[in-house]
Amino acid sequence: MSNVPPVTAAMAAPAPPASEEIILEVSGLKQHFPIRQGLLQRVVGHVKAVDGVSFQLRAREALGLVGESGCGKTTTGRSILRLYEPTAGEIWYTRPDGEKEDLAPLSDREMKAYRRDLRMIFQDPFSSLNPRLTVMDIIGEPLVIHGVAKGRDKVERVADLMQAVGLNPNYMGRYPHEFSGGQRQRIGLARTLSLSPRIIIADEPVSALDVSVQAQVLNLLAEIKEERSLTLIFIAHDLSVVEHVCDRIAVMYLGQIVELDVTDRLLRQPAHPYTEALVSAVPPADPDIRMNRIILEGDVPNPASPPSGCVFHPRCRYAEDVCKTDKPDLTLMADGRLCRCHFAAELELQGIV
Amino acid sequence: MTVSAPPAAPSPLAEAFGVPEEQDHSSETYVQLVWRRFRRSRISILGGLMILWLGVLAVFSDFFSPTDPTQIDMKATFTPPQRVHFIDAAGNFSFRPFTYLQVYSFHPETLEPVWIEDETTKHYLQFFVKGYEYRLLGFIPWDRHLYGAPEGGSVYILGTDKLGRDLFGRMCAAGRISLALSLFAAFISIVVGSVLGVVSGYYGSWIDGLLQRFVEVVQSIPALPLWMALTSVVPITWDPFLVFVIMASIFALTIWTVLAREVRGKVLSFRETDFILAAKEMGASDARVIFRHLYPHTLSHVIVVLTLQIPQIILAEAFLSFLGLGIQEPLISWGYLMRDSNSLETLGVNPWILSPAAFIVIAVLGFNFLGDGLRDAADPYAIA
Repeated sequence: MSNVPPVTAAMAAPAPPASEEIILEVSGLKQHFPIRQGLLQRVVGHVKAVDGVSFQLRAREALGLVGESGCGKTTTGRSILRLYEPTAGEIWYTRPDGEKEDLAPLSDREMKAYRRDLRMIFQDPFSSLNPRLTVMDIIGEPLVIHGVAKGRDKVERVADLMQAVGLNPNYMGRYPHEFSGGQRQRIGLARTLSLSPRIIIADEPVSALDVSVQAQVLNLLAEIKEERSLTLIFIAHDLSVVEHVCDRIAVMYLGQIVELDVTDRLLRQPAHPYTEALVSAVPPADPDIRMNRIILEGDVPNPASPPSGCVFHPRCRYAEDVCKTDKPDLTLMADGRLCRCHFAAELELQGIV
Repeated sequence: MTVSAPPAAPSPLAEAFGVPEEQDHSSETYVQLVWRRFRRSRISILGGLMILWLGVLAVFSDFFSPTDPTQIDMKATFTPPQRVHFIDAAGNFSFRPFTYLQVYSFHPETLEPVWIEDETTKHYLQFFVKGYEYRLLGFIPWDRHLYGAPEGGSVYILGTDKLGRDLFGRMCAAGRISLALSLFAAFISIVVGSVLGVVSGYYGSWIDGLLQRFVEVVQSIPALPLWMALTSVVPITWDPFLVFVIMASIFALTIWTVLAREVRGKVLSFRETDFILAAKEMGASDARVIFRHLYPHTLSHVIVVLTLQIPQIILAEAFLSFLGLGIQEPLISWGYLMRDSNSLETLGVNPWILSPAAFIVIAVLGFNFLGDGLRDAADPYAIA
């Protein structure tokens, strides 16, 4: 464990990377879904939802995973948690004892032990809670599944968890439909925390909530992350939300990471044309600032048949011939950022003012 | 129900001292929620009462039967329903109901047997009377009956069959088989249909394909000829209980497919929901996902299908037994009791032997009414 600077408030400003210790390393992760057609359900192609994602997750940092709908960010999260069978790639997780383990080839049974350490927060607080179970049963279920606590002990732990996420423990006998969206997301959070995880993958945890409630839940998440020194992968499509929470941001486009950098620099000086377009869509806090939005032409290409060369070239305003033929790699630039663009070093792109 | 108490009416304590009212924070259970919604439907309550009534008559059939329903009395064959009087021939009111002795004679012209009330011999009905001995619920020896006629008299409120046995008592006893058989067949259908439906929907791919083709094959077999063929090969010498089980299985054989389809559809639609994914994310086993998260959501459909299938089985069983292909003595069912009416002359002269049909109608209607209310009530946690 390296020395961690004490963080005072919730992360209003992006803190420096919390640690250099790598807790999770994903390399070349691919998740292809077969497309079946016809009477015999023959496989006629693959939707390449995640197509070679690699990144390192540092202990106690918050890494944002952003991109537009359908870019594969949710699938990436679920693949890491082995809710799908990854097509290729490795997921190296560093256990508390320092040993590394590749999660990708594990069987469901072998994976169960790691499910205590790696947990997920779901996007929709309405459909992710079983409407027939009481809050007590929902939050306590991981405890039962992993044989951690039951009976009286379980009740006490559920009460503690409810308090930790700002819910009244008296309501543990109630059903999810008796709660508001924000409260339900708190229930989901308590369920996620119940096994004291080390890494939480939050899949758009606030996008289904009212804006007024979003801030509450985000602050709670940031608070709990600091309190319990958690590592967070924060999946979102809303840069203003990610900016608030994350230390580093990975921008995804069509199943690939196109840029990964420290939050502040990524927003102010993006290196990838797609990031530039994405950042230009963030509304500035000052209404007097004129927005200079970059409107991308066309739609996201079909992930079943991605474009040749750079997947972004059909929509890129800086594209040249080389982009149509050659696939750029995610390369480490001189200043430490990762960018997947042939002209990353040459382009002068605009960020948030 | 305390949860929904309006805050407009604070308790006296709260008013006097400003003490916050102690609230009950626990929620209603599933059964409470279902009951609250079920109550709203009057017709379902009626349906439930009809089934309950038949059930009580069947379970305590010996208690409601004044004479032994297996005792043959050749002197009383085809007795018409006896009237229970409060006012005698002379116009005197009697608080205790009574019957007149019925005597047998022949019609002077047609020579048909005719039963006439002998208005000189009254038999006052006795209640909680000692009668033949039986075992209540199968193990408590008892000899009391709800009503009965004293020695020498009789009270056949729905008449007798061709062997002189009280039809009402026999209908009550037959309800045991008719109801138990349909419930048992429905139970088999639930088990088979649920298991195959869940397996088909949850595991999908080729298992689903195979099972669904199998369901289609079973559904394409015409049910009635199959039932007739199967029931006719059951040897009459077999143990009655075995025959009962086999009959139930035969009826369940074709109807489970409806349930399997229903359950599969429900499982398919719930399989992809986030809370199932969440359960897997927690590390829940397949069994846990199925039994705790998936199957309970199909339960409301299962209940509804059930209340529609039970009447079907009752009717099918009555039909086959009426034809003489189903239940055999010593077991009796409502359909079996009507066997005597398959000859037109017998039916014309003794129309009361059709009275078991009334019980069938009550049972079928009752289950349908009940299903109507259950359909609306069974799923109180619809996702908003």
